[in-house]
Amino acid sequence: MRIILAEDSILLREGLIRLLTEEGHEVLAAVGDGDELIREVEARQPDLIVVDIRMPPTHTDEGLKAALEIRRRWPALGVLVLSQHVEKNYATQLLASDTAGVGYLLKDRVSRVEEFLDSLDRVHNGGAAIDPEVVRQLLARTTHVDPLSKLTNREREVLDQMAQGHTNAAIALKLHISQSAVEKNVNMIFEKLDLTRTTGYSRRVLAVLQYLGS
Amino acid sequence: MPGDPSDITVPQNHSGNDTAKAPEVSFTNRALGFVAGILTALLEAGYFVVVGAVLGPAMLWPRTRAAAIRRFLVGVRWLTELELRRRSRFFDDLFPVERDDQKALPYLTSHLAAGLLSAIVVGLLGFGLVLVVLVTRGMIRGSLGIWDLLAQVLLGGVLLFLDIQGIITLAGLDGRLARRYFGPSEREMLKRRIAELSASRAGIVRAVDSERQRIERDLHDGVQQRLVALAMLLGRARRHRDPVEAGRLMEQAHRESEEVLVELREVAWRAYPSALDNLGLPEALAGVAERSSIPVRVRIDLDTPLPRPVETATYFVVSEAVTNAVKHSGAAAIGVAIERRSGCVHVRITDDGAGGADPAGSGLSGLGLRVAALDGRMSVGSPPGGPTEITVEIPCE
Repeated sequence: MRIILAEDSILLREGLIRLLTEEGHEVLAAVGDGDELIREVEARQPDLIVVDIRMPPTHTDEGLKAALEIRRRWPALGVLVLSQHVEKNYATQLLASDTAGVGYLLKDRVSRVEEFLDSLDRVHNGGAAIDPEVVRQLLARTTHVDPLSKLTNREREVLDQMAQGHTNAAIALKLHISQSAVEKNVNMIFEKLDLTRTTGYSRRVLAVLQYLGS
Repeated sequence: MPGDPSDITVPQNHSGNDTAKAPEVSFTNRALGFVAGILTALLEAGYFVVVGAVLGPAMLWPRTRAAAIRRFLVGVRWLTELELRRRSRFFDDLFPVERDDQKALPYLTSHLAAGLLSAIVVGLLGFGLVLVVLVTRGMIRGSLGIWDLLAQVLLGGVLLFLDIQGIITLAGLDGRLARRYFGPSEREMLKRRIAELSASRAGIVRAVDSERQRIERDLHDGVQQRLVALAMLLGRARRHRDPVEAGRLMEQAHRESEEVLVELREVAWRAYPSALDNLGLPEALAGVAERSSIPVRVRIDLDTPLPRPVETATYFVVSEAVTNAVKHSGAAAIGVAIERRSGCVHVRITDDGAGGADPAGSGLSGLGLRVAALDGRMSVGSPPGGPTEITVEIPCE
């Protein structure tokens, strides 16, 4: 796929370019701040962007602002955001409306090359990629203790994977169970947590995240 | 608001205008100021007599009284202003800009009395000098016996002592009067000190926060990025089918891991140089000089080690100033001089660079706050075109 990178650390930028080119992707541009990113996206129309949240000048949330604007102007474009820490606020802003083609990963996740590349693919295909750490924190912080305690261990595992944006097929592979078993678990989860059945994976992720975050 | 010193306890050594930072006024200035005070008192006496004689009748007449008193007070105010200027000029007294005109007349009359008394006392000193001359001449001519001489010397000595006591007391009274009527009262001094302490306390909290922010930034921008890059290299090495390519990546990763270690050492050193504890200030500053890309000449002249907080502050002042100079000044040489004089440590950092350093910039203002928290003072002189000079004084008893 055709990718634009926004990352202010030159070292990481170089590393990412290498990694992506080795995987056969095309890096159209690598920039160091939000304004430049928007200009490049406008000029080159990539399939996907990878954005570091913390960039100059203030090193707070420039990358996120740019990502939100890009999502608003080019909704079809995949956006994968890399964050320094789990910032629930940033994650919710990004995932507020729709999780189609959105990823929110901890920056360190880049070092797990396979997982990172897998997240890229999911975001590119209109799915979601939510960092397991974010999901874990949402699960831990959730105010809905009772309904969650009704879940079996297996159902919790499936919920965890589902919230990260994995498809049923991927969950089946990861947990070494059949796809139909995953589907059964998913149905039970939706029933127990009183979630409305939504179609499409990204809406499913959104429903779960909203449930956990509310 | 008028301060009433009677209902507030003040430490004995904390009187009038002296704060922890009041610089000493030289003896010459004090003597000149005292004599000037006598002259102004004579001037005031003249004014009271002459203007009193001219305006006196008008003051007695009800219809003209108000206007006469108004005229009289114009001169009183002018003379009061003159007195306060004299105090500021010779004694470095500070007076609030707001003056209470009601106090001008009572102040001036008290000062007039004290000033005329001073004139008499100084006159007596002159008279004593004449007597000394007479006694000496008597000695030379031999018309004065040894017992007579002894009696004269004894009596003269006692009188001289009393007279000097009088001068000292009256000089003190002069200052107290001005402060009593126009100067900051004890209570105001205390309020000012409290405000100063609150400001420096808030400042030190800000400085600590910005230090922490800097350490976080150091860790994030340096160490963490390098670690992520290192992990990425290892991840790529594992994915490679081609052992040669994988080996090359491993080698790169190994080099990168060494870079991470160097970076981590640097960050730790910037957060707090452990050499300061183990080896003392000279050694820690030698480290700063070694790390600087511009030659740094350090001259330390301390007979005994500084107290720990002062030492730490001194270290960070120098280290930050040198870092700044390296980053922005384009200087060819940096000089650092540290010495202890009259209960203060004096630190001077100079560079021959382009100048234009901003005292309000984050690094320098943080240092200023740190120094202020120890009751010290920092000044930055950095005209465009250079040279830059940063001086810091921190009291250390």
